[in-house]
Amino acid sequence: MIKHLGVVGAGTMGAGIAQVAALAGIEVSLYDINGTVLRQALERIKTALKLGIEKGELTENQTTEALAHIHPRTRLGELNHSEIVVEAVIEELRIKKDLFKHLEADTKSTTILASTTSSISITAIASATRHPENVVGFHFLNSPTSARLVEIVQARQTSPESVQRSIDFTTQLQKTAVLVQDSPGFIVNRMVQPFYGEALRILGERVADAGQIDRILRVLGGFDLGPFESMDAVGLDLCLSVTQSMHAQTFGEPRYRPHPIQKQMVDSGMLGQKSGSGFYKHHEHE
Amino acid sequence: MKRTRTIQKKKQTPRPGRAIEKSKPGRTTVYIIGDGPIVAEYVSLCSSHGFSTVFDFNTPPETVPSFDSMLVRKSAQIPRDAAFALELTNVDLERKRRNIEMLDKVLPATTAIASSSVTITATEQASWIRHKSRLVGCCALPTLGQQLLIEIAPTVFSPAGTVQVVQRFFQSLGKEIELVQDRVGMVFPRILCGIINEAAFALQDEIASPRDIDTAMKLGAGCPVGPIEWADRIGLAQVYAVLAALHNDLGEDRYRVAPLLKQMAVSGTWWHRALALSEERQSL
Repeated sequence: MIKHLGVVGAGTMGAGIAQVAALAGIEVSLYDINGTVLRQALERIKTALKLGIEKGELTENQTTEALAHIHPRTRLGELNHSEIVVEAVIEELRIKKDLFKHLEADTKSTTILASTTSSISITAIASATRHPENVVGFHFLNSPTSARLVEIVQARQTSPESVQRSIDFTTQLQKTAVLVQDSPGFIVNRMVQPFYGEALRILGERVADAGQIDRILRVLGGFDLGPFESMDAVGLDLCLSVTQSMHAQTFGEPRYRPHPIQKQMVDSGMLGQKSGSGFYKHHEHE
Repeated sequence: MKRTRTIQKKKQTPRPGRAIEKSKPGRTTVYIIGDGPIVAEYVSLCSSHGFSTVFDFNTPPETVPSFDSMLVRKSAQIPRDAAFALELTNVDLERKRRNIEMLDKVLPATTAIASSSVTITATEQASWIRHKSRLVGCCALPTLGQQLLIEIAPTVFSPAGTVQVVQRFFQSLGKEIELVQDRVGMVFPRILCGIINEAAFALQDEIASPRDIDTAMKLGAGCPVGPIEWADRIGLAQVYAVLAALHNDLGEDRYRVAPLLKQMAVSGTWWHRALALSEERQSL
Protein backbone atom coordinates (compact mmCIF):
# COMPACT_ATOMS: atom_id res chain seq x y z
CA MET A 1 0.00 0.00 0.00
CA ILE A 2 1.23 3.44 -0.95
CA LYS A 3 1.25 5.97 1.90
CA HIS A 4 2.94 8.95 0.26
CA LEU A 5 2.29 10.18 -3.26
CA GLY A 6 3.91 13.10 -5.01
CA VAL A 7 2.07 14.93 -7.80
CA VAL A 8 3.94 17.37 -10.01
CA GLY A 9 1.85 19.96 -11.85
CA ALA A 10 -1.39 21.27 -10.33
CA GLY A 11 -3.44 21.63 -13.52
CA THR A 12 -6.70 19.74 -14.05
CA MET A 13 -4.92 16.39 -14.35
CA GLY A 14 -2.60 16.86 -11.33
CA ALA A 15 -5.35 18.23 -9.08
CA GLY A 16 -7.65 15.40 -10.11
CA ILE A 17 -5.06 12.77 -9.23
CA ALA A 18 -4.38 14.47 -5.88
CA GLN A 19 -8.10 14.45 -5.11
CA VAL A 20 -8.57 10.78 -5.99
CA ALA A 21 -5.50 9.72 -4.00
CA ALA A 22 -6.44 11.84 -0.97
CA LEU A 23 -9.90 10.26 -0.93
CA ALA A 24 -8.18 6.86 -0.91
CA GLY A 25 -6.40 7.94 2.28
CA ILE A 26 -2.99 8.61 0.73
CA GLU A 27 -0.83 11.56 1.87
CA VAL A 28 -0.38 13.69 -1.23
CA SER A 29 2.32 16.29 -1.82
CA LEU A 30 0.96 18.46 -4.62
CA TYR A 31 3.72 20.47 -6.26
CA ASP A 32 3.54 23.31 -8.71
CA ILE A 33 6.19 25.83 -9.64
CA ASN A 34 3.48 28.50 -9.60
CA GLY A 35 1.90 29.31 -6.20
CA THR A 36 -1.20 30.82 -7.79
CA VAL A 37 -1.86 27.68 -9.81
CA LEU A 38 -1.44 25.65 -6.64
CA ARG A 39 -3.96 27.79 -4.71
CA GLN A 40 -6.42 27.55 -7.60
CA ALA A 41 -5.99 23.77 -7.65
CA LEU A 42 -6.85 23.52 -3.96
CA GLU A 43 -9.94 25.65 -4.51
CA ARG A 44 -10.96 23.40 -7.40
CA ILE A 45 -10.54 20.30 -5.29
CA LYS A 46 -12.63 21.88 -2.48
CA THR A 47 -15.40 22.74 -4.94
CA ALA A 48 -15.34 19.23 -6.44
CA LEU A 49 -15.53 17.63 -2.99
CA LYS A 50 -18.40 19.93 -1.98
CA LEU A 51 -20.23 18.85 -5.11
CA GLY A 52 -19.61 15.25 -4.04
CA ILE A 53 -21.39 15.95 -0.73
CA GLU A 54 -24.33 17.59 -2.53
CA LYS A 55 -24.65 14.58 -4.79
CA GLY A 56 -24.59 12.32 -1.74
CA GLU A 57 -21.44 10.53 -2.96
CA LEU A 58 -19.26 11.78 -0.09
CA THR A 59 -19.73 12.60 3.58
CA GLU A 60 -18.58 15.80 5.31
CA ASN A 61 -16.03 13.70 7.21
CA GLN A 62 -14.54 12.15 4.10
CA THR A 63 -13.97 15.51 2.48
CA THR A 64 -12.41 17.06 5.57
CA GLU A 65 -10.05 14.10 5.87
CA ALA A 66 -9.24 14.18 2.15
CA LEU A 67 -8.38 17.87 2.28
CA ALA A 68 -6.12 17.26 5.29
CA HIS A 69 -4.22 14.68 3.20
CA ILE A 70 -3.29 17.21 0.50
CA HIS A 71 -0.11 19.18 1.14
CA PRO A 72 0.70 22.00 -1.27
CA ARG A 73 4.44 22.19 -2.10
CA THR A 74 6.47 24.68 -4.03
CA ARG A 75 9.85 22.91 -3.79
CA LEU A 76 10.52 19.61 -5.56
CA GLY A 77 12.75 18.52 -2.68
CA GLU A 78 9.65 18.31 -0.49
CA LEU A 79 8.50 15.27 -2.46
CA ASN A 80 11.34 13.16 -1.01
CA HIS A 81 9.04 10.89 1.07
CA SER A 82 6.96 9.86 -1.91
CA GLU A 83 6.90 6.19 -2.93
CA ILE A 84 5.38 7.19 -6.24
CA VAL A 85 5.65 10.55 -8.00
CA VAL A 86 3.18 11.26 -10.80
CA GLU A 87 3.99 13.96 -13.30
CA ALA A 88 1.26 15.96 -15.06
CA VAL A 89 3.12 18.87 -16.62
CA ILE A 90 3.06 20.21 -20.17
CA GLU A 91 3.32 17.63 -23.00
CA GLU A 92 6.88 18.33 -24.05
CA LEU A 93 9.59 15.67 -24.05
CA ARG A 94 12.48 18.03 -23.18
CA ILE A 95 10.65 19.41 -20.14
CA LYS A 96 9.60 15.96 -18.94
CA LYS A 97 13.12 14.55 -19.32
CA ASP A 98 14.52 17.44 -17.33
CA LEU A 99 11.89 17.02 -14.63
CA PHE A 100 12.52 13.28 -14.28
CA LYS A 101 16.25 13.93 -13.84
CA HIS A 102 15.49 16.32 -10.98
CA LEU A 103 12.87 14.03 -9.44
CA GLU A 104 15.32 11.15 -9.43
CA ALA A 105 17.85 13.24 -7.55
CA ASP A 106 15.27 14.34 -4.99
CA THR A 107 13.64 10.97 -4.22
CA LYS A 108 14.64 7.52 -3.03
CA SER A 109 16.18 5.11 -5.54
CA THR A 110 13.09 2.87 -5.26
CA THR A 111 10.56 5.62 -5.98
CA ILE A 112 8.39 4.99 -9.01
CA LEU A 113 8.37 7.93 -11.39
CA ALA A 114 5.21 8.03 -13.49
CA SER A 115 4.17 10.20 -16.38
CA THR A 116 0.53 10.86 -17.31
CA THR A 117 1.43 11.61 -20.92
CA SER A 118 -0.90 10.41 -23.64
CA SER A 119 1.37 11.04 -26.58
CA ILE A 120 5.03 10.99 -25.52
CA SER A 121 7.07 7.81 -25.44
CA ILE A 122 7.64 6.61 -21.86
CA THR A 123 10.75 4.88 -23.17
CA ALA A 124 12.15 8.25 -24.26
CA ILE A 125 11.36 9.85 -20.89
CA ALA A 126 12.91 6.91 -19.01
CA SER A 127 16.11 7.28 -21.00
CA ALA A 128 16.86 10.51 -19.14
CA THR A 129 17.11 8.76 -15.75
CA ARG A 130 19.72 6.60 -14.08
CA HIS A 131 17.05 4.15 -12.90
CA PRO A 132 14.83 3.82 -15.97
CA GLU A 133 13.42 0.58 -14.50
CA ASN A 134 11.42 2.79 -12.10
CA VAL A 135 9.74 4.80 -14.85
CA VAL A 136 6.19 3.98 -15.97
CA GLY A 137 3.23 5.66 -17.65
CA PHE A 138 -0.13 6.20 -15.92
CA HIS A 139 -2.63 7.10 -18.58
CA PHE A 140 -5.93 8.18 -17.01
CA LEU A 141 -8.84 7.92 -19.42
CA ASN A 142 -10.88 11.13 -19.26
CA SER A 143 -10.35 13.10 -16.06
CA PRO A 144 -8.72 11.22 -13.16
CA THR A 145 -11.78 11.80 -10.96
CA SER A 146 -14.28 10.27 -13.39
CA ALA A 147 -12.01 7.71 -15.09
CA ARG A 148 -12.62 4.08 -14.21
CA LEU A 149 -9.61 2.98 -16.19
CA VAL A 150 -5.87 3.59 -15.98
CA GLU A 151 -3.53 2.32 -18.66
CA ILE A 152 -0.23 1.30 -17.04
CA VAL A 153 2.42 1.84 -19.68
CA GLN A 154 5.49 -0.33 -19.58
CA ALA A 155 8.51 1.27 -21.25
CA ARG A 156 11.26 -0.84 -22.73
CA GLN A 157 13.24 -0.32 -19.53
CA THR A 158 10.43 -0.64 -16.92
CA SER A 159 10.93 -3.54 -14.50
CA PRO A 160 8.14 -6.08 -13.84
CA GLU A 161 8.30 -5.04 -10.17
CA SER A 162 7.52 -1.40 -11.02
CA VAL A 163 4.65 -2.60 -13.20
CA GLN A 164 3.20 -4.65 -10.36
CA ARG A 165 3.51 -1.78 -7.85
CA SER A 166 1.76 0.51 -10.36
CA ILE A 167 -1.10 -1.94 -10.83
CA ASP A 168 -1.45 -2.29 -7.04
CA PHE A 169 -1.51 1.50 -6.70
CA THR A 170 -4.30 1.76 -9.33
CA THR A 171 -6.33 -0.78 -7.37
CA GLN A 172 -5.73 1.29 -4.23
CA LEU A 173 -7.28 4.25 -6.10
CA GLN A 174 -10.27 1.95 -6.81
CA LYS A 175 -9.69 2.03 -10.53
CA THR A 176 -9.11 -0.74 -13.05
CA ALA A 177 -5.60 -1.11 -14.46
CA VAL A 178 -4.71 -2.51 -17.85
CA LEU A 179 -1.12 -3.12 -18.86
CA VAL A 180 0.15 -1.91 -22.22
CA GLN A 181 3.58 -1.86 -23.81
CA ASP A 182 4.88 1.61 -24.67
CA SER A 183 3.50 2.18 -28.18
CA PRO A 184 1.72 5.03 -29.96
CA GLY A 185 -1.75 5.64 -28.52
CA PHE A 186 -1.41 2.83 -25.95
CA ILE A 187 -4.67 0.83 -26.09
CA VAL A 188 -7.66 3.16 -26.05
CA ASN A 189 -6.36 6.06 -28.16
CA ARG A 190 -5.16 3.53 -30.70
CA MET A 191 -8.35 1.49 -30.78
CA VAL A 192 -10.60 4.56 -31.12
CA GLN A 193 -8.82 5.57 -34.34
CA PRO A 194 -11.11 3.44 -36.54
CA PHE A 195 -14.11 4.52 -34.43
CA TYR A 196 -13.44 8.19 -35.26
CA GLY A 197 -11.51 7.75 -38.51
CA GLU A 198 -13.97 5.46 -40.31
CA ALA A 199 -16.91 7.55 -39.07
CA LEU A 200 -15.25 10.64 -40.58
CA ARG A 201 -14.64 8.85 -43.86
CA ILE A 202 -18.22 7.55 -44.00
CA LEU A 203 -19.37 11.13 -43.41
CA GLY A 204 -16.90 12.51 -45.97
CA GLU A 205 -18.05 10.01 -48.59
CA ARG A 206 -21.68 11.02 -47.81
CA VAL A 207 -22.69 7.44 -47.03
CA ALA A 208 -24.64 8.78 -44.05
CA ASP A 209 -24.74 12.00 -42.01
CA ALA A 210 -23.30 12.47 -38.52
CA GLY A 211 -26.65 12.10 -36.75
CA GLN A 212 -27.37 8.86 -38.58
CA ILE A 213 -23.92 7.42 -37.89
CA ASP A 214 -24.27 8.24 -34.18
CA ARG A 215 -27.74 6.69 -33.98
CA ILE A 216 -26.55 3.55 -35.78
CA LEU A 217 -23.61 3.14 -33.39
CA ARG A 218 -25.76 3.72 -30.31
CA VAL A 219 -28.95 1.85 -31.21
CA LEU A 220 -27.54 -0.94 -33.35
CA GLY A 221 -24.06 -1.10 -31.85
CA GLY A 222 -24.85 -0.43 -28.22
CA PHE A 223 -22.08 2.14 -27.76
CA ASP A 224 -22.54 4.73 -24.99
CA LEU A 225 -21.92 7.56 -27.47
CA GLY A 226 -21.71 7.73 -31.24
CA PRO A 227 -18.35 8.78 -32.72
CA PHE A 228 -19.40 12.39 -33.43
CA GLU A 229 -21.01 12.88 -30.02
CA SER A 230 -17.85 11.44 -28.54
CA MET A 231 -15.56 13.75 -30.56
CA ASP A 232 -17.69 16.74 -29.52
CA ALA A 233 -17.33 15.72 -25.87
CA VAL A 234 -13.58 15.09 -26.02
CA GLY A 235 -12.84 18.17 -28.13
CA LEU A 236 -12.10 18.07 -31.83
CA ASP A 237 -8.72 19.72 -31.38
CA LEU A 238 -7.62 17.04 -28.92
CA CYS A 239 -8.89 14.24 -31.20
CA LEU A 240 -6.99 15.74 -34.12
CA SER A 241 -3.77 16.16 -32.15
CA VAL A 242 -3.89 12.56 -30.89
CA THR A 243 -4.41 11.29 -34.44
CA GLN A 244 -1.66 13.51 -35.83
CA SER A 245 0.71 12.37 -33.12
CA MET A 246 -0.04 8.69 -33.78
CA HIS A 247 0.37 9.19 -37.52
CA ALA A 248 3.74 10.85 -36.94
CA GLN A 249 4.94 8.31 -34.37
CA THR A 250 4.16 5.41 -36.71
CA PHE A 251 5.90 7.15 -39.62
CA GLY A 252 2.69 7.54 -41.58
CA GLU A 253 0.64 4.40 -40.86
CA PRO A 254 -2.45 5.02 -43.08
CA ARG A 255 -4.84 3.66 -40.42
CA TYR A 256 -4.05 6.75 -38.34
CA ARG A 257 -4.19 9.34 -41.09
CA PRO A 258 -6.23 12.36 -39.94
CA HIS A 259 -9.24 13.43 -42.01
CA PRO A 260 -9.53 16.86 -43.68
CA ILE A 261 -12.98 17.38 -42.07
CA GLN A 262 -11.32 17.32 -38.63
CA LYS A 263 -8.71 19.85 -39.64
CA GLN A 264 -11.25 22.14 -41.24
CA MET A 265 -13.49 22.11 -38.18
CA VAL A 266 -10.59 22.81 -35.84
CA ASP A 267 -9.48 25.66 -38.14
CA SER A 268 -12.97 27.11 -37.98
CA GLY A 269 -12.98 27.00 -34.17
CA MET A 270 -15.74 24.38 -33.99
CA LEU A 271 -14.15 22.29 -31.26
CA GLY A 272 -17.20 20.54 -29.82
CA GLN A 273 -18.92 21.10 -26.47
CA LYS A 274 -16.25 23.44 -25.14
CA SER A 275 -16.67 25.94 -27.97
CA GLY A 276 -20.45 25.66 -28.14
CA SER A 277 -20.52 23.85 -31.47
CA GLY A 278 -18.90 20.96 -33.23
CA PHE A 279 -20.72 18.28 -35.16
CA TYR A 280 -23.71 19.40 -33.08
CA LYS A 281 -24.82 22.71 -31.57
CA HIS A 282 -24.40 22.84 -27.81
CA HIS A 283 -26.93 25.40 -26.70
CA GLU A 284 -25.85 25.86 -23.10
CA HIS A 285 -22.79 27.76 -24.35
CA GLU A 286 -24.73 30.25 -26.46
CA MET B 1 -51.99 12.79 -73.60
CA LYS B 2 -54.50 10.24 -72.46
CA ARG B 3 -53.34 7.72 -74.99
CA THR B 4 -49.68 8.00 -74.06
CA ARG B 5 -50.49 7.38 -70.46
CA THR B 6 -52.35 4.19 -71.31
CA ILE B 7 -49.47 2.93 -73.36
CA GLN B 8 -47.04 3.63 -70.52
CA LYS B 9 -49.28 1.81 -68.13
CA LYS B 10 -49.30 -1.26 -70.32
CA LYS B 11 -45.54 -1.28 -70.56
CA GLN B 12 -45.06 -0.99 -66.81
CA THR B 13 -43.95 -4.11 -65.02
CA PRO B 14 -45.68 -4.80 -61.72
CA ARG B 15 -43.97 -2.81 -58.98
CA PRO B 16 -41.75 -4.98 -56.79
CA GLY B 17 -43.08 -4.95 -53.28
CA ARG B 18 -46.75 -5.12 -54.26
CA ALA B 19 -46.85 -8.77 -53.26
CA ILE B 20 -46.37 -8.09 -49.56
CA GLU B 21 -48.65 -5.04 -49.64
CA LYS B 22 -51.49 -7.06 -51.13
CA SER B 23 -51.00 -10.15 -48.98
CA LYS B 24 -53.38 -10.81 -46.10
CA PRO B 25 -52.05 -10.36 -42.58
CA GLY B 26 -51.18 -13.68 -40.99
CA ARG B 27 -50.96 -15.37 -44.38
CA THR B 28 -47.84 -13.73 -45.66
CA THR B 29 -44.92 -15.98 -46.49
CA VAL B 30 -41.37 -14.75 -46.05
CA TYR B 31 -38.43 -16.69 -47.46
CA ILE B 32 -35.02 -16.41 -45.78
CA ILE B 33 -31.69 -17.78 -46.93
CA GLY B 34 -28.09 -17.06 -45.92
CA ASP B 35 -25.35 -17.66 -43.36
CA GLY B 36 -26.27 -19.56 -40.18
CA PRO B 37 -26.60 -17.23 -37.19
CA ILE B 38 -28.25 -14.26 -38.90
CA VAL B 39 -30.75 -16.55 -40.68
CA ALA B 40 -31.70 -18.08 -37.32
CA GLU B 41 -32.13 -14.56 -35.90
CA TYR B 42 -34.50 -13.50 -38.71
CA VAL B 43 -36.45 -16.76 -38.70
CA SER B 44 -37.41 -16.32 -35.06
CA LEU B 45 -38.03 -12.59 -35.57
CA CYS B 46 -40.31 -13.07 -38.60
CA SER B 47 -42.24 -15.99 -37.16
CA SER B 48 -42.78 -14.20 -33.85
CA HIS B 49 -44.26 -11.30 -35.83
CA GLY B 50 -46.77 -13.59 -37.50
CA PHE B 51 -45.10 -14.26 -40.85
CA SER B 52 -45.24 -17.73 -42.27
CA THR B 53 -41.49 -18.30 -42.50
CA VAL B 54 -39.67 -20.63 -44.87
CA PHE B 55 -35.90 -20.73 -44.64
CA ASP B 56 -32.70 -22.46 -45.68
CA PHE B 57 -29.05 -22.22 -44.67
CA ASN B 58 -26.18 -21.97 -47.17
CA THR B 59 -24.39 -24.42 -44.93
CA PRO B 60 -26.28 -25.89 -41.99
CA PRO B 61 -24.70 -24.75 -38.69
CA GLU B 62 -23.23 -27.38 -36.39
CA THR B 63 -26.19 -27.13 -34.07
CA VAL B 64 -29.37 -26.43 -36.01
CA PRO B 65 -31.60 -24.29 -33.81
CA SER B 66 -35.13 -25.61 -33.25
CA PHE B 67 -37.86 -23.08 -33.87
CA ASP B 68 -40.84 -23.54 -31.61
CA SER B 69 -43.38 -22.25 -34.06
CA MET B 70 -46.01 -23.70 -36.37
CA LEU B 71 -45.16 -20.89 -38.77
CA VAL B 72 -41.59 -22.04 -39.47
CA ARG B 73 -40.56 -24.51 -42.14
CA LYS B 74 -37.10 -25.39 -43.46
CA SER B 75 -37.02 -26.03 -47.17
CA ALA B 76 -34.50 -26.04 -50.00
CA GLN B 77 -37.40 -25.11 -52.31
CA ILE B 78 -38.22 -21.43 -52.62
CA PRO B 79 -41.99 -21.09 -52.05
CA ARG B 80 -43.50 -19.46 -55.15
CA ASP B 81 -46.03 -17.59 -53.04
CA ALA B 82 -43.38 -15.85 -50.91
CA ALA B 83 -44.35 -12.18 -50.63
CA PHE B 84 -40.95 -11.09 -49.37
CA ALA B 85 -37.45 -12.58 -49.52
CA LEU B 86 -34.38 -12.03 -47.39
CA GLU B 87 -30.96 -13.00 -48.73
CA LEU B 88 -28.47 -12.79 -45.86
CA THR B 89 -25.17 -14.12 -47.22
CA ASN B 90 -21.98 -12.13 -46.51
CA VAL B 91 -19.15 -14.63 -46.83
CA ASP B 92 -19.56 -16.80 -49.95
CA LEU B 93 -20.43 -14.32 -52.71
CA GLU B 94 -20.65 -16.96 -55.46
CA ARG B 95 -23.27 -18.72 -53.40
CA LYS B 96 -24.97 -15.38 -52.81
CA ARG B 97 -25.16 -14.76 -56.55
CA ARG B 98 -26.70 -18.22 -57.16
CA ASN B 99 -29.23 -17.57 -54.38
CA ILE B 100 -30.26 -14.21 -55.81
CA GLU B 101 -30.46 -15.46 -59.39
CA MET B 102 -32.66 -18.32 -58.21
CA LEU B 103 -34.91 -15.99 -56.19
CA ASP B 104 -35.29 -13.77 -59.26
CA LYS B 105 -36.22 -16.74 -61.41
CA VAL B 106 -38.72 -18.35 -59.02
CA LEU B 107 -40.45 -15.42 -57.33
CA PRO B 108 -43.09 -13.27 -59.04
CA ALA B 109 -41.90 -9.82 -60.11
CA THR B 110 -44.04 -8.24 -57.41
CA THR B 111 -41.93 -9.79 -54.65
CA ALA B 112 -39.20 -7.55 -53.23
CA ILE B 113 -35.86 -8.95 -52.11
CA ALA B 114 -33.94 -7.41 -49.22
CA SER B 115 -30.36 -8.57 -49.56
CA SER B 116 -27.43 -8.07 -47.23
CA SER B 117 -25.17 -5.51 -48.91
CA VAL B 118 -22.35 -5.48 -46.37
CA THR B 119 -19.66 -7.19 -48.44
CA ILE B 120 -20.94 -6.32 -51.93
CA THR B 121 -23.09 -3.35 -52.94
CA ALA B 122 -26.79 -3.89 -53.55
CA THR B 123 -26.44 -2.20 -56.94
CA GLU B 124 -23.89 -4.76 -58.05
CA GLN B 125 -26.17 -7.55 -56.84
CA ALA B 126 -29.13 -6.06 -58.73
CA SER B 127 -27.06 -6.07 -61.91
CA TRP B 128 -27.01 -9.89 -61.72
CA ILE B 129 -30.75 -10.28 -62.20
CA ARG B 130 -33.53 -9.51 -64.66
CA HIS B 131 -35.90 -7.68 -62.29
CA LYS B 132 -33.25 -5.28 -61.04
CA SER B 133 -35.68 -2.96 -59.31
CA ARG B 134 -36.86 -5.56 -56.80
CA LEU B 135 -33.63 -5.73 -54.81
CA VAL B 136 -32.84 -3.37 -51.93
CA GLY B 137 -29.71 -3.62 -49.77
CA CYS B 138 -29.75 -4.07 -46.00
CA CYS B 139 -27.21 -4.56 -43.26
CA ALA B 140 -27.26 -8.11 -41.96
CA LEU B 141 -24.33 -8.70 -39.68
CA PRO B 142 -24.95 -10.75 -36.56
CA THR B 143 -24.27 -8.70 -33.46
CA LEU B 144 -25.43 -8.48 -29.88
CA GLY B 145 -28.94 -9.47 -28.93
CA GLN B 146 -31.87 -8.02 -30.77
CA GLN B 147 -31.04 -5.37 -33.33
CA LEU B 148 -33.40 -2.43 -32.90
CA LEU B 149 -32.20 -0.61 -35.99
CA ILE B 150 -31.36 -1.58 -39.54
CA GLU B 151 -29.44 0.18 -42.27
CA ILE B 152 -31.20 0.09 -45.64
CA ALA B 153 -29.37 0.88 -48.89
CA PRO B 154 -31.46 1.53 -52.02
CA THR B 155 -29.72 0.70 -55.32
CA VAL B 156 -29.57 2.96 -58.37
CA PHE B 157 -32.44 0.85 -59.74
CA SER B 158 -34.69 0.94 -56.65
CA PRO B 159 -38.02 2.74 -57.12
CA ALA B 160 -39.10 4.74 -54.05
CA GLY B 161 -42.16 2.54 -53.65
CA THR B 162 -40.09 -0.61 -53.29
CA VAL B 163 -37.78 1.05 -50.77
CA GLN B 164 -40.83 2.03 -48.74
CA VAL B 165 -42.13 -1.54 -48.78
CA VAL B 166 -38.78 -2.81 -47.52
CA GLN B 167 -38.76 -0.12 -44.83
CA ARG B 168 -42.28 -1.05 -43.72
CA PHE B 169 -41.33 -4.73 -43.60
CA PHE B 170 -38.44 -4.08 -41.21
CA GLN B 171 -40.54 -1.61 -39.21
CA SER B 172 -43.15 -4.33 -38.78
CA LEU B 173 -40.37 -6.39 -37.14
CA GLY B 174 -39.87 -3.55 -34.63
CA LYS B 175 -36.81 -1.94 -36.16
CA GLU B 176 -35.87 1.69 -36.68
CA ILE B 177 -34.65 2.46 -40.20
CA GLU B 178 -31.63 4.43 -41.36
CA LEU B 179 -31.39 4.94 -45.12
CA VAL B 180 -27.71 5.01 -46.14
CA GLN B 181 -25.83 5.11 -49.43
CA ASP B 182 -25.12 1.80 -51.11
CA ARG B 183 -21.44 1.27 -50.26
CA VAL B 184 -19.44 -1.75 -49.17
CA GLY B 185 -19.29 -2.01 -45.39
CA MET B 186 -22.28 0.34 -44.94
CA VAL B 187 -21.91 2.16 -41.60
CA PHE B 188 -21.89 -0.17 -38.63
CA PRO B 189 -19.92 -3.12 -40.11
CA ARG B 190 -17.27 -0.76 -41.49
CA ILE B 191 -16.65 0.92 -38.12
CA LEU B 192 -16.96 -2.17 -35.94
CA CYS B 193 -14.80 -4.39 -38.13
CA GLY B 194 -12.24 -1.55 -38.27
CA ILE B 195 -12.05 -1.60 -34.48
CA ILE B 196 -11.74 -5.40 -34.47
CA ASN B 197 -8.97 -5.20 -37.09
CA GLU B 198 -7.11 -2.65 -34.95
CA ALA B 199 -7.49 -5.02 -31.97
CA ALA B 200 -6.03 -7.80 -34.11
CA PHE B 201 -3.02 -5.63 -34.98
CA ALA B 202 -2.56 -4.73 -31.30
CA LEU B 203 -2.79 -8.39 -30.33
CA GLN B 204 -0.40 -9.40 -33.07
CA ASP B 205 2.09 -6.71 -32.00
CA GLU B 206 1.72 -8.01 -28.41
CA ILE B 207 1.16 -4.56 -26.96
CA ALA B 208 -1.46 -5.89 -24.51
CA SER B 209 -3.32 -9.06 -23.56
CA PRO B 210 -6.68 -9.83 -25.19
CA ARG B 211 -8.39 -9.41 -21.83
CA ASP B 212 -6.82 -5.99 -21.23
CA ILE B 213 -7.72 -4.79 -24.73
CA ASP B 214 -11.35 -5.72 -24.12
CA THR B 215 -11.40 -4.20 -20.63
CA ALA B 216 -9.82 -0.97 -21.89
CA MET B 217 -12.40 -0.56 -24.66
CA LYS B 218 -15.33 -1.26 -22.36
CA LEU B 219 -14.22 1.13 -19.60
CA GLY B 220 -12.40 3.67 -21.74
CA ALA B 221 -14.42 3.96 -24.93
CA GLY B 222 -18.00 3.02 -24.06
CA CYS B 223 -17.90 -0.24 -26.02
CA PRO B 224 -20.71 -2.59 -24.86
CA VAL B 225 -18.45 -5.62 -25.38
CA GLY B 226 -14.71 -5.72 -25.97
CA PRO B 227 -13.76 -6.00 -29.65
CA ILE B 228 -12.14 -9.39 -29.21
CA GLU B 229 -15.15 -10.95 -27.55
CA TRP B 230 -17.33 -9.17 -30.10
CA ALA B 231 -15.45 -10.72 -33.02
CA ASP B 232 -16.09 -14.08 -31.43
CA ARG B 233 -19.82 -13.45 -31.26
CA ILE B 234 -20.10 -12.22 -34.87
CA GLY B 235 -17.87 -14.95 -36.20
CA LEU B 236 -14.42 -14.30 -37.60
CA ALA B 237 -15.38 -15.40 -41.10
CA GLN B 238 -17.96 -12.59 -41.21
CA VAL B 239 -15.50 -10.00 -39.86
CA TYR B 240 -12.85 -11.06 -42.34
CA ALA B 241 -15.34 -10.95 -45.22
CA VAL B 242 -16.24 -7.33 -44.36
CA LEU B 243 -12.60 -6.22 -44.03
CA ALA B 244 -11.47 -7.98 -47.19
CA ALA B 245 -14.39 -6.45 -49.11
CA LEU B 246 -13.48 -2.96 -47.86
CA HIS B 247 -9.84 -3.45 -48.78
CA ASN B 248 -10.83 -4.71 -52.20
CA ASP B 249 -13.36 -1.96 -52.80
CA LEU B 250 -11.42 1.05 -51.48
CA GLY B 251 -7.98 -0.22 -52.40
CA GLU B 252 -6.27 1.64 -49.59
CA ASP B 253 -3.58 0.30 -47.31
CA ARG B 254 -5.51 1.44 -44.26
CA TYR B 255 -8.01 -1.38 -44.92
CA ARG B 256 -5.50 -4.21 -45.07
CA VAL B 257 -6.49 -7.07 -42.82
CA ALA B 258 -4.27 -7.93 -39.87
CA PRO B 259 -2.49 -11.18 -40.79
CA LEU B 260 -3.39 -12.67 -37.41
CA LEU B 261 -7.09 -12.04 -38.04
CA LYS B 262 -6.93 -13.57 -41.48
CA GLN B 263 -5.14 -16.60 -40.13
CA MET B 264 -7.70 -17.13 -37.41
CA ALA B 265 -10.59 -16.62 -39.81
CA VAL B 266 -9.41 -19.16 -42.36
CA SER B 267 -8.35 -21.70 -39.77
CA GLY B 268 -11.71 -21.39 -38.06
CA THR B 269 -10.02 -20.75 -34.72
CA TRP B 270 -11.79 -18.40 -32.44
CA TRP B 271 -10.53 -15.51 -30.43
CA HIS B 272 -11.27 -17.15 -27.12
CA ARG B 273 -8.61 -19.68 -28.08
CA ALA B 274 -6.18 -16.81 -28.49
CA LEU B 275 -7.24 -15.58 -25.07
CA ALA B 276 -6.59 -18.96 -23.50
CA LEU B 277 -3.24 -19.27 -25.27
CA SER B 278 -2.05 -15.86 -24.12
CA GLU B 279 -3.00 -16.67 -20.54
CA GLU B 280 -1.22 -19.98 -20.74
CA ARG B 281 1.86 -18.20 -21.98
CA GLN B 282 1.67 -15.72 -19.10
CA SER B 283 1.39 -18.42 -16.48
CA LEU B 284 4.48 -20.25 -17.79
